[in-house]
Amino acid sequence: MSMVNRLFGNRVTRREAIRQTAGAVAAGLALSALPAAGVRTAEAAGIRPVQAASVLNQGSTFKMGLASEPNTFDPHLTLGRNSQILLANVFDGLTARDQNTNIIPGLATEWGYLGNGSTWQFKLREGVTFHNGDPFDANAVKFTVERAVDPAIKSTISELSGIVGADVIDPSTVQIRLKQPDILLPNRLGELFGGMLSPAHTMATDAASLATRPNGTGPFKLTEWVKNERIVLQASPNYWRGPANVSEITIRPILEDAARVAALQTGEVDYISNVPYERIGELQADPNLVVKTVPTPRVFFVSINPNVAPLNDVRVRQALNYAVDVEAIISALYLGYATRLATAVGSASFGYDPSITAYPYDPAKAKALLAEAGYPNGFSIEFDSFTGSIADHSRPAEAIAEYLRQVGIDVKLNVQEFGAFNSTKRQVNQVAPLHIYSLGDPYFEPVWALKWMQQLNLGLNYRNPEIYGLLDQAEATFDPSARAPIYSKVQQLLKDDAGFIFLFSNYAAFGMNRRVAYEPRSDETQWFHALQMM
Amino acid sequence: MTGFVIQRLLLAVLVVFGVSIVTFFLTFLSGDPAALMLSADASAEQVAQFRHDWGFDDPIIVQYGRFLGRALQGDMGMSLRHGTPALPLIADRLPATFQLTLTAMAMAIFAAIPLGVISATHRGSAIDLVTMTVALVGQAIPAFWLAIMGILFFSVSLGWLPTSGRGTLLHVIMPASVLAIGLTALLTRLTRSTMLEVLSEDYVRTARAKGLRAWAVLSRHALRNALIPLVTVIGLQFGYILGGAVVIETVFTWPGVGLFTIQAITNRDYPVVQAAVLILSTAVVLINLLVDLLYGLLDPRIRVRA
Repeated sequence: MSMVNRLFGNRVTRREAIRQTAGAVAAGLALSALPAAGVRTAEAAGIRPVQAASVLNQGSTFKMGLASEPNTFDPHLTLGRNSQILLANVFDGLTARDQNTNIIPGLATEWGYLGNGSTWQFKLREGVTFHNGDPFDANAVKFTVERAVDPAIKSTISELSGIVGADVIDPSTVQIRLKQPDILLPNRLGELFGGMLSPAHTMATDAASLATRPNGTGPFKLTEWVKNERIVLQASPNYWRGPANVSEITIRPILEDAARVAALQTGEVDYISNVPYERIGELQADPNLVVKTVPTPRVFFVSINPNVAPLNDVRVRQALNYAVDVEAIISALYLGYATRLATAVGSASFGYDPSITAYPYDPAKAKALLAEAGYPNGFSIEFDSFTGSIADHSRPAEAIAEYLRQVGIDVKLNVQEFGAFNSTKRQVNQVAPLHIYSLGDPYFEPVWALKWMQQLNLGLNYRNPEIYGLLDQAEATFDPSARAPIYSKVQQLLKDDAGFIFLFSNYAAFGMNRRVAYEPRSDETQWFHALQMM
Repeated sequence: MTGFVIQRLLLAVLVVFGVSIVTFFLTFLSGDPAALMLSADASAEQVAQFRHDWGFDDPIIVQYGRFLGRALQGDMGMSLRHGTPALPLIADRLPATFQLTLTAMAMAIFAAIPLGVISATHRGSAIDLVTMTVALVGQAIPAFWLAIMGILFFSVSLGWLPTSGRGTLLHVIMPASVLAIGLTALLTRLTRSTMLEVLSEDYVRTARAKGLRAWAVLSRHALRNALIPLVTVIGLQFGYILGGAVVIETVFTWPGVGLFTIQAITNRDYPVVQAAVLILSTAVVLINLLVDLLYGLLDPRIRVRA
C-alpha cells in the first residue's frame, strides 16, 4: 500500500495531485523533456542554411563576434592591443598600412625628417573633415600629439612619449619635434597610436564622452556602445577614401571561445576573431564558412638572465636552444599555425634575414655543450610562466620546461596569473632566471623590440654591448637600405650569443561566412573599410 | 518590529562597510594596476611615474582613506580602465543580472517544489528514485560544462536558441536554466525532506481525519509548514546564485554585474571592483533581511524581538 493511500485513504488523490502539479513541473522541466527525435547530426547542422542569409541579402549590414572589447575609443587612453585594433575604423593616423603592412599615406601625404632627425615635417591631406564637420588641419595634429604627452591626460600610449611638441607651419604643414632623433615617428603616428583628434570637439567634451562618443576622420562613426553587449559602427558618407562598402557593422563581444564559434556556425554573426586552432578544421569543413589565418607580429621567446650562473656561459645558453624542439611545439600546440624564428625578429619585419637559420633540435649537442661548459649532469634552475594575458604562454612554457629536463636540467616551473606575475615579479625585476614572454612589434622594424628585450629591467637582464651598439647605429640611420645590413649583423650575433631561447611567432585565425570578402591584416589591425558582402 | 528592522539595517551597513575594507586590501595584495595599464614598451621609469601620478604608491591606508572619503559623498571614482564613473557602470548592469538570477530562482522554485512534494508523497517509488538521482546529478554537474553543452546542442545542432548575449526572451532561457539546475537539485531534495518530516506530524493526521481532501491537506497544512526552512535556504542561496551567475555570465557573455566585475578584477580596476562589492553585498544583506521578515510572517510562532 503506498504512503498516499495510507495517509489519505482510498480516495485516490495521487492521480489528481500529479495532474495538478504536472503543469507546474512542465514549465520548469521544459528543456529536459525535449525529445531526442529532433536532434540533427553534426553534418546536417553544417549543411543547414546560414540563418543570417536574409540579413546579408538586405544589403550592407555586417555582424561580427570579437573575443575582446576595447576599453575606450580615446586614442590616448587605450589599454592593450585589443583596444587599439578597432580604433582605425573611427580615427585615421597620419600614416596607414596596406595589406602587405607597408607604410602608406594616411592623413599625411608626404613626410620627411629635418636636420638630425629629431624634427619631422608632415604635409597633410586637404579637405578632410571630422565626423562632426570640424576641419582636419595642422592645428588638429599639433593638438593631438601635444595632448598625448600632456601629464594631465595620463596617457597610456608610451609609444608617443618621445614627442616634445609640434609647430604649425601652415594649415596643411606641421612639424613635430622629438626628444631625440627617431626613425620610427611615421610608424608611431599610424592607425594604432596616431588617431587624430579635433581640438574644438575634444576641449568641449568631457572625458567620459570622449571615451564612448569618439569624433574622428575615419570610415565609420561609432553610433552605439553598450559595454559587453554591442558596438555599432555606421559608415561615414564623407570619408576621404570613399565611403565604406558596408553601411553598418554590429560588433558583439563574445568572450567564450565555444560560444563565439557557435555564433558563427549558427549565422548569428558573419565574422569572428580568435578562432581556436583546434576548431579551424571543423569550420573549414563547413561549406558556408571559411577560415583565414594570418601571421601576427607577436614574437615568443624565453628570457635568460646571464647574471645567474651557469647562464653566463654562452655554451649553456646555446645548449638551451638546442634542447627545445620548437617545431614539435608548433605542430602540437599551434597545429602548425606558427612560424619558427631564428631570433626575435619577425618574418614580416623590415630587415628580416631569412639566411640566418634557427637552432635545430639537437638534444645530443645540447648535452655535449653542457658537459663542455662543466655541467655534464645538468643544473637546477627556476622558470616563470603565467596564465591569462593576451596569449597562451603557460602551455608552451610547460613543453619547453620538459625539453630542458630531458637534457638533464632540473627545471622548477612557477605559474601565476598574469596580473600577479606582472606586479610581484616583472615590475620589481625579481623574475626567475628563465621566463617566457612575448612581444607584439607594432613597428615592423626590429630596433624597438630588440632594444626593449635588452632593457636590463622588467626581468630582461641580457644585453650584448655589440648588439646594442649596432641597434643604436640603426636608430641613427635614416636610409632604410643602409639599415638592412645592420639588422642582418644583429640577427647573426643574436643567434650566436643565444641571449634568449628563440621560439616562434603565432598566427591569428579569423572565421567568416563565405559571403564576406575581407582579408585580415597581419598587423593585427581590424580595418573594415575594404570589407564587402557578396 | 520596527526596532528589529532598524537594528538589522544598521548591522547591514556595518557588514557592507566591513566587506568593502576586506575587498580593498585583498585586491591590493596582488599589486597595483599601473603596470597593467601601460603598454608593453613602457620603461620601468614610465611605470613608476604613472604609478605616482595615480597615487598608487601611497600607503594602502591613505588610498583607502581617499576612497572612503569620496564614497561617503556618493562618488565611487572613475573606472581606471573605462574612464567613466564606476558606480553607474555597475548599476547599469544590475537589471541584466537580476533578470538572470530571478528567472533562475523562479524556474528552480517552480520545478523543485512540485518535484519535492511528489517525491515525498511517493516515497520509495520509481518516481522518487529517478527524481533524487537526477537531483544528485544536477548538483554534481559543473555549470560551465553544462552551459557549453547547451550551446552546442540547443543552438548549433537544433537552432532553437541563440548562442549567447542578451536581447529577447529566448536569450534568457539557456543561461537561466543552467543557473537554475544546481539550485533546483538542492531545493528538490530539501523540499522532499521537509515534506516527509511534515507529513508525519500529528496535525496532518488530524487534518486528514477531519475529512479534508488530500490536495487541501497538502497545500494548506503540509506545504505551508515545509516552506519555512525552504524560504531561509532560498534566501541564503541568493548570494550563491549571484556568485554562480559569474560563470554563466562569462560563458554566455551575459552583460551583467558578474561578468563586468570579473573583468575589473583581472584588470585591477579598483573603483569598479569596490562599486560592485558595495552593490552586491547590499543586495545580499537586504535579501537576507527580507527572508527574516518573511520567516516571521510565515510562522506565527516566531515573533522576532528587537
